[in-house]
Amino acid sequence: MKKMLFVVMAVLLAFSPLFAAGQQEQAAGPVTLNVLFYSPELAEQYNDMVAAYKAETGVTLDITVLQTDYRSVLTSRLNSGDVPDIFMSSAYADNSTYKDYVYDLTNEDFIKKIEPSALQGVIVDGKVLGYPFLVQSHSFIYNKKVFADNGITTLPKTLADFEAVSKKLQANGVQPFATGFKEFWVLPQTAWQAIANVPAENYGGYENFVAKLNAGELKFKDIPQMSQVFDLLDLIKKYGGPKPNESDFNDQTSSLATGKVAMIHQGNWAEDSIRKTNPEVEIGFLVGPIGNNAATAGIMFDSNQTIRIAKDGKNLDAALDWLRWLTTSEYGRNWIPGKVKQLSPIIGAAAPDSQIAKETSALLASGTPGYPWFYQMFPTGTEQQLGAILQGYCAGITNRAQTLDALDSAYAKIAKAAQ
Amino acid sequence: MTPLKRKQWDRALTFALFTLPALAAILISVEIPFLMSVFSSFTKWNGLDRAQTFIGLENYKELFLDDLDMWKAFGFTLRLTLGSVLVVNLCALLLAVLLDSDIRGKNALRAAFYVPNIVSLIIIGYIWRFIFSAGFESFFQTTGLDFFMFSWLGDVNLVYFSVLMVSVWHSLGFYLVIYIAGLQTVPRDLIEASMIDGAGRVVRFFRITLPLIMSAITVSVFHSLSNGLKAFDVIFSLTNGGPGNSTTTIALDIYRTAFVINRFGYGTAKSVVLFLMILILSIFQVRLFKSREVEV
Repeated sequence: MKKMLFVVMAVLLAFSPLFAAGQQEQAAGPVTLNVLFYSPELAEQYNDMVAAYKAETGVTLDITVLQTDYRSVLTSRLNSGDVPDIFMSSAYADNSTYKDYVYDLTNEDFIKKIEPSALQGVIVDGKVLGYPFLVQSHSFIYNKKVFADNGITTLPKTLADFEAVSKKLQANGVQPFATGFKEFWVLPQTAWQAIANVPAENYGGYENFVAKLNAGELKFKDIPQMSQVFDLLDLIKKYGGPKPNESDFNDQTSSLATGKVAMIHQGNWAEDSIRKTNPEVEIGFLVGPIGNNAATAGIMFDSNQTIRIAKDGKNLDAALDWLRWLTTSEYGRNWIPGKVKQLSPIIGAAAPDSQIAKETSALLASGTPGYPWFYQMFPTGTEQQLGAILQGYCAGITNRAQTLDALDSAYAKIAKAAQ
Repeated sequence: MTPLKRKQWDRALTFALFTLPALAAILISVEIPFLMSVFSSFTKWNGLDRAQTFIGLENYKELFLDDLDMWKAFGFTLRLTLGSVLVVNLCALLLAVLLDSDIRGKNALRAAFYVPNIVSLIIIGYIWRFIFSAGFESFFQTTGLDFFMFSWLGDVNLVYFSVLMVSVWHSLGFYLVIYIAGLQTVPRDLIEASMIDGAGRVVRFFRITLPLIMSAITVSVFHSLSNGLKAFDVIFSLTNGGPGNSTTTIALDIYRTAFVINRFGYGTAKSVVLFLMILILSIFQVRLFKSREVEV
């Protein structure tokens, strides 16, 4: 009898996962959308939007927000079949990374309400593969009070200007930069900005530039302007305090907010952290130097963070309804500028109450170049790998020639694997 | 069937039935995925596409002939493992001898040394990252010692010692427990006999105690060796492999290959090699140490 019972139990145990899976399939009733997002600094705003959508339509968004391990979690969920209905990724190279899973939004009515320039990063062969979530910019952020206290009235534009300003600040006992060199993503953002005009001016446009790099026809060591990158990194390191290689995002934002340093290389997403440390702080946006040519100095301005809809999800229509709501409803249109406080890619959206976003708009309106985040066109994974190599240069492990060789060989490997 | 045979048969059946669930669980969660990853190591796959392309030994060819970064990571992992095996076992043994003697407050001290082991290494990494940067800066301002102004996480020559220190600090308590347990199994009568024979403290330790706790040493060295080769979390949170790639371990390199560059096939090839390396080193080490163990 006991043995019989045992066998029955064992069989039940063996089949229990099957039953569990079967039950999940049958769940009916109000739709719940499964969402995987990054940027945990926006968690509050995400939840506010989820609550508003539930109140208006009754549809629940089951939202998970991650940061550092976002990519690995997304990858394992996608290839284990647990595909989220809605997820996020970068634009450009990620279009092909997730091509097997992403719904083509080209013919959706709400896509016409998005600024065409914001769609550039998500269009592949004429197909719109993602929804640009917000428009972001990065360059140097400065503390206006520190600049004023030290008598700096003309904002720097060239490498020589930045050097002069740094010297003056240093002489007055103020640390000019917090480097952010410990974050692998800050380094490439800083570095590529120093040659942001080069692909368009010397290599027939950004796509052509990246295609040449991918095919191995162009090497970083053959780009003479790469010296501008190293000059800028050297400058930031020289004036970046006693431990330039240990500065991370938190160090950058808190040091700038408290006025301990005058400038950091960051994007508009840093404003929230800066103002949390010091709500009274006044910050502004500087152009990033491109060598010593003041005319080409600009900011990096693009819509990189992209919302993707899974094409095979059983809630596809509900997910599309949500995007339509986000684009056309009153709450949706106001969400990015009003709650997230960043620039919205929707045509005619309100301007956000953000110092950096306002300065971004003002700079662009005054004719300052806004360059695309062309390094996002590099194959997936280069950001971290090239970032680590540039970090090695800043730590003095490699010299310029060795760094260029390392960049070329790392890039070639990733490009080959991505084919 | 004779009654005896029948009984034996029954026993075997019961044994099989009782082990079956565990066997199935291990097969499903460990062995089958392992075999699947061995298969993946022969493919070119980005972890996302639905198709895996079989490319034979290409991954292994690249790994052995054309991946300097991986071998640099391998070199660093070996240095870190060697350092941590030596330091952690010597420190733990020394402390265990101290805390096994009759000193005051030894229970409180044992607990104090064990506490870091309870906290997750990821958290420990972030805590020490804070101590090394902001904490040390405050220390510098109050003490004026240059020692605190060294860039412990940013200087290529120092970062090895920072990582070693943190991982030893974290794991010391665990090995301490093993060694104390080992020391307590040493029979008093042998110690007393040696005392009567006139052996001093030092001789007694090396001639009596050490051979008798050899099994504890085997376990501790084995454990610290395989943990050192697999080091990931402390690096991930403390240095993230930097500056440059100077503190990238094999495990971190594998993680990046698979999840950051999206080369799953190549990443699994690396992990198969890591697996073989740990296996060979561990077998070698256990054989060597086992041969020195003595039975009372």
